[in-house]
Amino acid sequence: MNNNRLKFLKILLYVAVGVILVRLFMIQIVQKSEWVAKAEAQHTMENTIKAKRGEIYMMDGNEPVAVVLNEQVYTIAVDPMMVDEKELKDVIFTKDLEKNLTVGLDDVLEDRARRYMIVAKNVSREQAKKIEEKDPVGVWLTATTKRVYPEGTLAARLLGFVNEDGEGQYGVEGSLDEELAGKDGMLKTVADVNHVALSIGNDNIKIPAEDGKNVVLSVDRNIQANVERILAQKMAEFGKDQASALVMNPRNGTVLAMVNLPAYDPANYGNVDGAEVYVNRVTSDPYEPASVCKGFTFATGIDLGAINAQTTFYNNGYEMVDGWMIKNSTYGQANLLGTRTIQEAFNWSLNTGSMYALRAIGGDETQITEKGRKILYDYFVNHFGLGQETGIELFEAKGLINDPVEGDGRDSMYANMTFGQNLMVTMIQVASGYSALINGGEYYAPTIVKGYMENGTLVEKEPIGPVRRAVKEETSAQMREMLWGTRSSQRLYGIDRDGYYIGGKTGTAQVIRNGAYSMDEWVATYIGFGGRTGEMPEYLAMVRIWKDGETTGAEQYAMPVFNDISNYLIDYLKIKPGA
Amino acid sequence: MRRHRGDRVIVAMTLLLLVAGLIIIYAIGPMRANFLNAAYGGNISENHFFVRQLINVAISVIAFAVFYKIPYEKMKKWGKWVLVLGVVLSAGLWILAKAGSGLAKCELGACRWINIGSFGSLQPAEFLKLGLLMYLSQLAASRRAEGTLNKSDFWLPVGVASAISLFFVVVVQKDLGTGVVLIAIILGTIFASGVELKRFALVLGAILIAGIGVIVTSPHRVERVKTFFNGEGADTYHIENAMIAIGTGGLTGVGVGNSVQATGYLPESINDSVFAVMGETFGFVGLGLVVMVFVILLTRVMRVAELVGDTEQKLVAVGVFSWISVQMAVNIMAMTGLIPLTGITLPLLSYGGTSMMFVTIALGMTFQLSCYTRREKEMKQAKFSNTHLKKRRLNEDSRSRRR
Repeated sequence: MNNNRLKFLKILLYVAVGVILVRLFMIQIVQKSEWVAKAEAQHTMENTIKAKRGEIYMMDGNEPVAVVLNEQVYTIAVDPMMVDEKELKDVIFTKDLEKNLTVGLDDVLEDRARRYMIVAKNVSREQAKKIEEKDPVGVWLTATTKRVYPEGTLAARLLGFVNEDGEGQYGVEGSLDEELAGKDGMLKTVADVNHVALSIGNDNIKIPAEDGKNVVLSVDRNIQANVERILAQKMAEFGKDQASALVMNPRNGTVLAMVNLPAYDPANYGNVDGAEVYVNRVTSDPYEPASVCKGFTFATGIDLGAINAQTTFYNNGYEMVDGWMIKNSTYGQANLLGTRTIQEAFNWSLNTGSMYALRAIGGDETQITEKGRKILYDYFVNHFGLGQETGIELFEAKGLINDPVEGDGRDSMYANMTFGQNLMVTMIQVASGYSALINGGEYYAPTIVKGYMENGTLVEKEPIGPVRRAVKEETSAQMREMLWGTRSSQRLYGIDRDGYYIGGKTGTAQVIRNGAYSMDEWVATYIGFGGRTGEMPEYLAMVRIWKDGETTGAEQYAMPVFNDISNYLIDYLKIKPGA
Repeated sequence: MRRHRGDRVIVAMTLLLLVAGLIIIYAIGPMRANFLNAAYGGNISENHFFVRQLINVAISVIAFAVFYKIPYEKMKKWGKWVLVLGVVLSAGLWILAKAGSGLAKCELGACRWINIGSFGSLQPAEFLKLGLLMYLSQLAASRRAEGTLNKSDFWLPVGVASAISLFFVVVVQKDLGTGVVLIAIILGTIFASGVELKRFALVLGAILIAGIGVIVTSPHRVERVKTFFNGEGADTYHIENAMIAIGTGGLTGVGVGNSVQATGYLPESINDSVFAVMGETFGFVGLGLVVMVFVILLTRVMRVAELVGDTEQKLVAVGVFSWISVQMAVNIMAMTGLIPLTGITLPLLSYGGTSMMFVTIALGMTFQLSCYTRREKEMKQAKFSNTHLKKRRLNEDSRSRRR
């Protein structure tokens, strides 16, 4: 027997070992970074630490009360490689959880090479607890939050909702999304195969989440609820299907109620016919409020000294401007023709009166001038804030006030603007401007955020104060008187109680349909204020009500809504009657 | 042959590997326990695996000592019976498994272990390895002495013993990896016994054809080979993660206790995949050392074969060499993606009692045989002419002084 064969066997071993060493060198030295990258991809667990979304409060008198809350719900994920079919059937894919499941059992079993799959969402705490007790293999529960609305549909179109991806949509949820959402944190660690974080490695990162702010709205939930009630009641009574209302404190621009009907259920926000129902018309839907704007026109004239309540003009029932015949709504009423005062023009809503005011503003009583247009534009835009974003903490539409110089037919356009047509403004713009007209002449930017809840107590926002002077104090005093006079002239039903100083103005607007003003579709608006006799107004309310394709007159439909709101506010705000 | 001191390098290398294995099990045993507890809701204590391995090592060291002490001349008669025991146990396991008995321990449809209560489990295939090794050496030595090595007197019993053993291991227990080790023992011994190369080549060819046949007839094995080349499936996950572990180790490794792959990503981390975990922990340097320790150990085992006078003893040493070499190479090559996964342990390093004990028995025996080697000079004396005597004597003097 010779040892050559043994040598041969040894050589076989050395060759094999040589191959192994070369292979190890390749893997561990040459390709190391590739394998490290694969290892990191596999080991590194990056978890988002979800910031808690802020809750939304309203005021209940002087106490903040939550109207949008968070509820903890659970997302169920599985590791298809590890799960047990029978256990899944018994614990997860049950009748009880049917509504929450996002995939079928078959989907999980077909894809067993996958290590992570979400199978159910929005699982309640009780259901999650039951699952946790059974502790199925390869199943994880992750806590997330869902919005809940203890007040149901209250202020739905003001509050907005949070969509599936956790993004605020429409209303306060949308406009204050960043503030409410806070900032998610991050946890990056090396984890074992069951996603349990390990202390191995030194590139672990933890950035804590910054929770969202709890926003306290200045809206009073009682006023909001009652205005909604009144509005709904009147809509039913009048057979109208669209209505919006706004209640403000004219002394500081604070919003006390913002209502849009019909509402929707924010807990089932998907259950609507169209996205239109989400829109907060008060701030996002510019329209033509019509004669309400005569207040702005007359205030401009009075502020300039061009007219006053007793200034007279000749009412023809119509005017010809740029070849257009612009009529009063009372065109056929012969008893109103002749020499009339501005106050009468306000009372009977004579368009000829507001057009006269524009001529007076321009310094030429016979015709509308560029100077007059420019001044009216300046007052409308720069004093009263029409056609401008007001700065309220909500999504806003800007609207449109046409340029006084550029373009054709400026005279007829501006003639129309004196009584609130041919412009596009939002209710919040009009109400803020009107607040300035009646509060002594100072313009406050409207606001709906009172402050923030921090550790259970309300921390109030610093009040901004008046932004500018809109009109002189005397002008404002005259406007209050004129509005009181107008309302008094219309007070046919003995609704306003003695000892209260209540004024207001109607606006019935033609609606543009197919590029022209429709003759049989009108939108009703009423804006008014109230307070104790001899004192400054304490509230301002604006109502807009209509139904597509119908004529809705302000005096008949909008004013009664205001009347109810006004009387409710006097009671709720405990305003004592004056002498 | 007069007895002299054995080759202590064999002892030293064996202990070195056992200790290295213990260190690794100490580091990753808790991770394994943690993973198993999380996955199957068990309650395995943190040092469960380390304590068990410590016991395994202790038993193995005792086994080494015992088989070193018992004179081989006594043991040689047992060879046949160890083989018979292996066959009986295999057959018994087969029956137990068929009967669905709890004594048969099965994993993924392959029943390879007999449960022996609190002691753990016993793998009959290990008896077959040792039995075949001893029986074939004895048979070949005596046939060689008779001059019938190339006759059916030799080939028939070899064929029968091998076929029965392989049938149980490969077909019944579906353990191709252990089958490869058995084949290595068989081929190594036959090859070294001095059979005609022509016949040997014939046998080799026959085994290759049979091997391909075994693979092709089993859809499960075809699948394994396919996935190895396609790079997908559970095996690929295993190999990929073994390579991730090895690759992450880089030059010097992440250090003891810092293995992330062992926290559950790498299957069989303490058993078949322990080499990969060592790669992650100790890096290229560590794995290089482990491989070198194996090479030194195996070279020493082969040295015994080269220097021992008795043919049977020579063949036993060759068998031990073939066994450990192939088991090591197959395990490491699978871990490094060179060959498909077969599922065998890394000798002396992997967690597990039976495998470790039988390897130490084989090494203990080899250590004993190393006491009966002739000196290299004697070997050479037999070969070379007298003219070289002077020179060699000088060499020999310096060598003996160094000893």
